[in-house]
Amino acid sequence: MGLTLNVPAGEVFGLLGHNGAGKTTTVNLLTTLLEPSSGDATINGHSVTADAAGVRRSIGYLPENVQFYDDLTLLENLRFFARLSGLRRPDARIRDVLSFLDFEGHDNQKIGMFSKGMRQRVGIAQAVLHEPAVLFLDEPTSGLDPEGVRTLRETIVRLNREFGMTVFMNTHLLSEVTKTCTSIGILNHGALVHHDSLANTLAAFPAEDSLEDIYFRLDVTSPS
Amino acid sequence: MTTLLTSARHEVLCILRAGVALLLLAVFLCMVSLSSVIGWITNTTVTRVYEKVLTDGLTTAPNPFTAVSPLYYARNSVIYVVLIGALLAIVLGVQSTLRDRKSTTSDLVLSRPVNTISRLAGTLVGLGVVIAAVLLLSTVISWGSISIIVGAPLGPDPSLRLAVFAALSWALMMIFALLGMLTGLHSRKETTALLVPFVVWSAVTFVLPQIGANARPVALLNPVPALITTGTNSFDLVGAITGPFAITEQFKRAAGIALQDESLTGSPTASIVLLGAFLMAMTWIVLATSRRQLRSGLNE
Amino acid sequence: MSDTWTVAGKELLDLRRDRLFAILIAFLAVATLISVAVASADFRNQQGAYNLYVANLVKSGTSIAPAAPQLFPLKLLRGGIEYLEILGALFAIVLGYETIAKEKHRGTLALVLSRPLGRFSFAGGKMLGLSIAWLGVVSALTVVSLLAVVTIGQAPIRGSDVARLLVSSGFAWLYLVFWTALTVGLTALSTRLSTGLILALIIWLAFVLIIPQIGDTMDPDNQVPGGLFATLRIKKPDELAVLAQFSAFDGIRNGLEVSSVTKHFERLTFAFLGIKDQYNQQPLGLVWVAMLPYSITLTAATFASVVFAALATTRRTLQRTHS
Repeated sequence: MGLTLNVPAGEVFGLLGHNGAGKTTTVNLLTTLLEPSSGDATINGHSVTADAAGVRRSIGYLPENVQFYDDLTLLENLRFFARLSGLRRPDARIRDVLSFLDFEGHDNQKIGMFSKGMRQRVGIAQAVLHEPAVLFLDEPTSGLDPEGVRTLRETIVRLNREFGMTVFMNTHLLSEVTKTCTSIGILNHGALVHHDSLANTLAAFPAEDSLEDIYFRLDVTSPS
Repeated sequence: MTTLLTSARHEVLCILRAGVALLLLAVFLCMVSLSSVIGWITNTTVTRVYEKVLTDGLTTAPNPFTAVSPLYYARNSVIYVVLIGALLAIVLGVQSTLRDRKSTTSDLVLSRPVNTISRLAGTLVGLGVVIAAVLLLSTVISWGSISIIVGAPLGPDPSLRLAVFAALSWALMMIFALLGMLTGLHSRKETTALLVPFVVWSAVTFVLPQIGANARPVALLNPVPALITTGTNSFDLVGAITGPFAITEQFKRAAGIALQDESLTGSPTASIVLLGAFLMAMTWIVLATSRRQLRSGLNE
Repeated sequence: MSDTWTVAGKELLDLRRDRLFAILIAFLAVATLISVAVASADFRNQQGAYNLYVANLVKSGTSIAPAAPQLFPLKLLRGGIEYLEILGALFAIVLGYETIAKEKHRGTLALVLSRPLGRFSFAGGKMLGLSIAWLGVVSALTVVSLLAVVTIGQAPIRGSDVARLLVSSGFAWLYLVFWTALTVGLTALSTRLSTGLILALIIWLAFVLIIPQIGDTMDPDNQVPGGLFATLRIKKPDELAVLAQFSAFDGIRNGLEVSSVTKHFERLTFAFLGIKDQYNQQPLGLVWVAMLPYSITLTAATFASVVFAALATTRRTLQRTHS
């Protein structure tokens, strides 16, 4: 199945779908972690097939269940990723980002000691260090407690509003989508069955109480 | 260039933080330090044995240890490089590439503007720096302890020979580090990643010399080569085929000649060329690893 | 007890389907075959050289010929025993590590530990299963060795040779169980799985390779190619008399060697197989008497290692272990 999708700059886009619908594969293709067997995609003006390096310079990526080098400290981890993103002297930028995330005072602690919520904040930090135009988040709330979910949601919204970052988010938590996303797409068996702004989507189904009901109305079913 | 340097620096930092690798490193340095002392104690005792035999009138043969080189005391180090050095290099090599696959940090790395060759070359440079630092330290220790044993600082010639020995050791250890990197990149399980290079190491160190030169496995751990009956026949033929692949034996030969081991004669050139060829071939194989392989997950 | 058997049965089932295990055992078998082939080829070389020498003597008119080289079939197994010493121990470590690591990696540990198992059922079952597996492996290697000696070595085997080989196989089993149990205990105690494996490998390096190597290189007779005393043309009784005066040095050297369990295994098997000349063709009873201390120490070391594994592998240690 082919996928045709256009996410305008400045959106917080939520890609929804059941397990195995192809959400992670889509993100892997868009972040150039996978090469497409056919077709193409353009991120911030760069083609994933012809200019993968340009795409990588434009994006930040937070994978599901992000992990780090546990024996290294927070600062050492972030310095490494910042330098790989091309920042020569990254310390000042790291401090700014940690301050933005309200995550100061842990610089010299080894990441191996961090909780899931703390790791997720480090995950966001490493993804935005180099001020990417587009931020890809794969199931960012997976495994977080309610407080962690709320903090992450607020961070995503701030990154979008304060820095104009375009956010592309994979999720199957429909309640989070209504609070975070400006537009949504629904993927089913590798095909996009719905794509519109959140407001239009909710308006198009006045009879349904929630996004969850709309989701099932669109006949998105898991493969049996 | 940024990727290469950043990866090299990162590798050094990760090795320094990994307690177990440091433990193995300490074992290596400790054994190299002990090597001179063991050589000295043994040499002193054997000289006393010879003197006793001579005064008892049991022999008229000349003392086989007359005028041995001061580097005689470092000859056990050759074996320690083959045993501990190679295994240390394997462990470091495996962990260097398996680390990203195991914790899936490879996705964080590869979603950045990172060239895979630069990334792997950087890791390799990091490993090379650590191994060079270890060998530099062990050479300084050897130089110091031998100078103390012989009662005078080693002259330029033996010092240079120790440096050549260190360079050869670096080449051998890097070959095994590259082997470790390779299995760290391709194995589906951590156990396999560690075990496969260990098995290859044991096959190269013990099995190949046995097939090619009729050398018993345990005898290969003695720096003094055993007298081997090969003769006219099958061993010479098989030895000619397996010999180039028995790189630990090639290393032992080149290092022995560098350390003025009198039981070894001839030129070390062929052995050095072989070590260099293996090093380059392994480097090429590792650097040619695909991006997809770098981010392949483990099956555990 | 039934819990223990259940865990043991599952362990054996896993091993039967484990390709890595099959490859390791095949590697050991091939190495043994190669060593027998090399040793028998070497013997034939010696025999050829002897025949040539005798023919030359006859041609020159001399009728007194030196004794012909004699083939002692079990001596052909020396290389195989040395492979077991080094590689067998290495593979035993891998097996010990895998038994804990696989439960952790596939997440089945929590399922097992949530059952009403006895304090030692898990560790006991694992060790029982692995010990049975090693028994199978050692039996197979014994058969391979025997066949190799008869076919590749073309050596006649007597009943007493089989008995000697079986006794040696028993010690090989104890030696392999020792390393497996040690690694099970170390892996269970380590908070990170790979630390357990690497620690076991460091111990293997020290006790299988380094300590015996130091002992070997400190041997005065190992200082010159061909042997110091042979080079100086000194007869055996004189050699012993001279060495008796350096007993302190030899004591240290021997002390180093016997601190390694590998040397105990080596001395036992070399004595029973007659690889060590001193025990070659000696009655089995006499070898038993001479080797009793080593058989006690190897058995005690294995027992201690199994006890260590049982005590170290608890619910608490297993649950804090992570990959």
